[in-house]
Amino acid sequence: MTSLGISQIVVYFLIILAITKPVGTFLFRVFEGERTFLHPVLRPLEKLIYWAGGVREGEEQSWVRYSASLISLSIFSVLFVYVLQRLQGHLPLNPMHFSTPHAPPNATAMTPDLAFNTAVSFVTNTNWQSYSPDTTVSYLTQMAALAVQNFVSAAVGIAVAVALIRGFARHTAKTIGNFWVDVTRCTVYILLPICILATLFFVWQGCIQNFKGPVTATTLEGSTQVIEQGPLASQLAIKMLGTNGGGFFNANSAHPYENPTPLSNMFQLLLIFALGAGLTYMFGKAVRDTRQGWAIFAAMSVMFLVGAFICYGAEQRGNPMLTSMGVEHAYTGSQPGGNMEGKEVRFGNAMTALFATVTTDASCGAVVAMHDSFTPIGGLVPLFNIQTDEVIFGGVGAGLYSMLIYVIVAVFIGGLMVGRTPEYVGKKIEQKEVKMAIIAVLATSFVILGFTALSSVAPFAKNGYWNAPGPATANLNNNGAHGFSEILYAYSSGAGNNGSAFAGINANTPWYNLTLALDMLVGRFLFIIPALAIAGSLAGKKLIPTTAGTLPTTGTLFVVLLIGTVVIVGALTYFPALSLGPIVEHFQMLGGKLF
Amino acid sequence: MIKELGPGFRLTLALTILTGLLYPAVMTGLSELIFPRQAKGSLVSVDGKIVGSSLIGQSFTRPEYFHPRPSAAGSGYDATNSGGTNLGPTSAKLLHGTTKMDDKGNEIVDFDGIDDRIVHYCIDNGIPYTSSVPLDHFMDSHGQLDDVKLIKAFNDDKAPLIFTPKEEIPSDAVTGSASGLDPQISPANAEIQAAHVAKARGASVDQVKQLVSQFTQRADWGFLGEPRVNVLMLNIALDRKFPVSR
Repeated sequence: MTSLGISQIVVYFLIILAITKPVGTFLFRVFEGERTFLHPVLRPLEKLIYWAGGVREGEEQSWVRYSASLISLSIFSVLFVYVLQRLQGHLPLNPMHFSTPHAPPNATAMTPDLAFNTAVSFVTNTNWQSYSPDTTVSYLTQMAALAVQNFVSAAVGIAVAVALIRGFARHTAKTIGNFWVDVTRCTVYILLPICILATLFFVWQGCIQNFKGPVTATTLEGSTQVIEQGPLASQLAIKMLGTNGGGFFNANSAHPYENPTPLSNMFQLLLIFALGAGLTYMFGKAVRDTRQGWAIFAAMSVMFLVGAFICYGAEQRGNPMLTSMGVEHAYTGSQPGGNMEGKEVRFGNAMTALFATVTTDASCGAVVAMHDSFTPIGGLVPLFNIQTDEVIFGGVGAGLYSMLIYVIVAVFIGGLMVGRTPEYVGKKIEQKEVKMAIIAVLATSFVILGFTALSSVAPFAKNGYWNAPGPATANLNNNGAHGFSEILYAYSSGAGNNGSAFAGINANTPWYNLTLALDMLVGRFLFIIPALAIAGSLAGKKLIPTTAGTLPTTGTLFVVLLIGTVVIVGALTYFPALSLGPIVEHFQMLGGKLF
Repeated sequence: MIKELGPGFRLTLALTILTGLLYPAVMTGLSELIFPRQAKGSLVSVDGKIVGSSLIGQSFTRPEYFHPRPSAAGSGYDATNSGGTNLGPTSAKLLHGTTKMDDKGNEIVDFDGIDDRIVHYCIDNGIPYTSSVPLDHFMDSHGQLDDVKLIKAFNDDKAPLIFTPKEEIPSDAVTGSASGLDPQISPANAEIQAAHVAKARGASVDQVKQLVSQFTQRADWGFLGEPRVNVLMLNIALDRKFPVSR
């Protein structure tokens, strides 16, 4: 590790620390319905959307109705995205002629299972991509199907977090807000304005934003290079801010058009954490004790920094087998050293490791490097981040509601240790809350481990419908332990609604498309619905005064308890699987074993 | 639940129009107005012809040009098919390469592998090395290195070919990028390549190195990212300053 590399990580963290309070304050005002400086311009747009949607702004919803509204929006979203994708060959803005008889020879067909997987993927804020965008989707599909869900799924995630915050903040109440209003306000006052500025920033740095077809260049050596174009920057902005992560191009944010400079990379990193960090402050403000929010922020920060430095260290040390072949492994100031397979020169090892950590701390899933080519420990960090439900700032909204679920588990454990009914921010945590929290935590691990096990052994006939390459392990790009890691990463990424991949795996077969779709649905809705049920239950409870017997939830003790809960639950659940993947591969790499 | 279906449908439609059509259309208009060069792809023209984009790497193989990194995009620098190798650190394919049979039954290179790239990098740039078997054994009838023979020798289980450069190779020079379109190489990689470029162009190595340092970008704001050299822009400048007759 170099001082330059370390300073990038530290400066990044300091900026996040600095923006947490202003962002959180603004979020609080928007969701409380207070007037902000944007209202003179955007209030008419907000009202227009209520009119178009037939929404009554003043109406409050119980947690059941709030959930029903959320499910309704999600169902129509899946339908819209599915239909638009299937019809893209007949619709405009398709300069590469995908899904038509004039498609280029390397084009991928938009099959029903692929379209369904993609629709579920974008609606659940996962953005897992079984397809390569370069060879599969039209501009219209990118804009009007996929990017729309980048906005909507982000707004839905934030709405759930806001509803859960209200559950803690309100007392003896029957309602937790109005879902339609929360989604609209989030889109109009938060996502759109930031995205407009971010788009312009990205274009300034070199990102493309146009509707023209591919450009044909004659290279200096006289051959032909076809360069794809498209409305990229506008989609990139919400891809990062909404922690969606689905790339406009296959190489995602490693593509020079999708991330041209280290400065654009730093800005993308900031967008990933901005709202997640702000929400911790908003939580503290809503429960009238900002120290509660900062305690959660502190737990997240510790886990973030530890992960970032482990990943950076592993990638900079690189692969000892390459070192013995004569490849420089040390950073020399004029070349990056380390493990540069699957990395870009402009980002080097430090920024790449930082990005890989951040994108999996949050449920973003954008990548600036191919995680599949990381060293085993470098790849273990993103994988473990996803498996612990992305509670480190996390996906927009999802990070906070997942962390609050871990908080409930932590205070429950704390309560057991001191022998008192657990409490948190003035609410008694009882049977119902703990049960719901456990359902959420168990559901994701059940599908991750279950589907990984199935795909490791599932026999399929070669050239059959379900999995044309043959057995489910025939889709892997690597042999040995690394191949197993590809499967484990895929289902972790799906259930964690992350979307990044050990991308060597060929997941575009009906077996993987459908199991991953189910995996994503479980990871999204079996987390959201328990979270809303907790919100409803808590909102109805009385506030209880703090006494000498209350476990304080703002100090170092609580921060350590919370980190311990996250790490121990994650380690107990996933250690056996991880030891078959990255951990054994680490020792194989040190021993010079190849597959 | 039924009552929620109306707003669900209508809001999906409304948000699609707002964020899926109006927003990208307005952003395209604004971007093309304020930053037209970038919005349209940072294209580079020489003598009025588009030769590429300053952001998108392209293939260079001739000795008079600087060479980019190995690429896994399509058959190499295919800007309609971005991506990396996705091979992991314990992959024999990544380290030693693989061969395959073509339609006519001839054995050809499937994936060259880092070993084979190191051999070529040493030969191209005159880097001294030791080899457990002299490289003459791997020549074809034209006196060129036969990559198929080399890859098979590196993969030999019993007595693999051991090839070791006497200087360390910059790590970006023999590894593939994530996008397969990396437009840049490290300054160290460019320095080493200056010799073959200078020789092919009849310029002095110092003159070429001077051009390299002119085209070396430092880390953004002094600490973000890494120093780097844009291969296409450097090669265009070479053609201008030290033209080769063809």
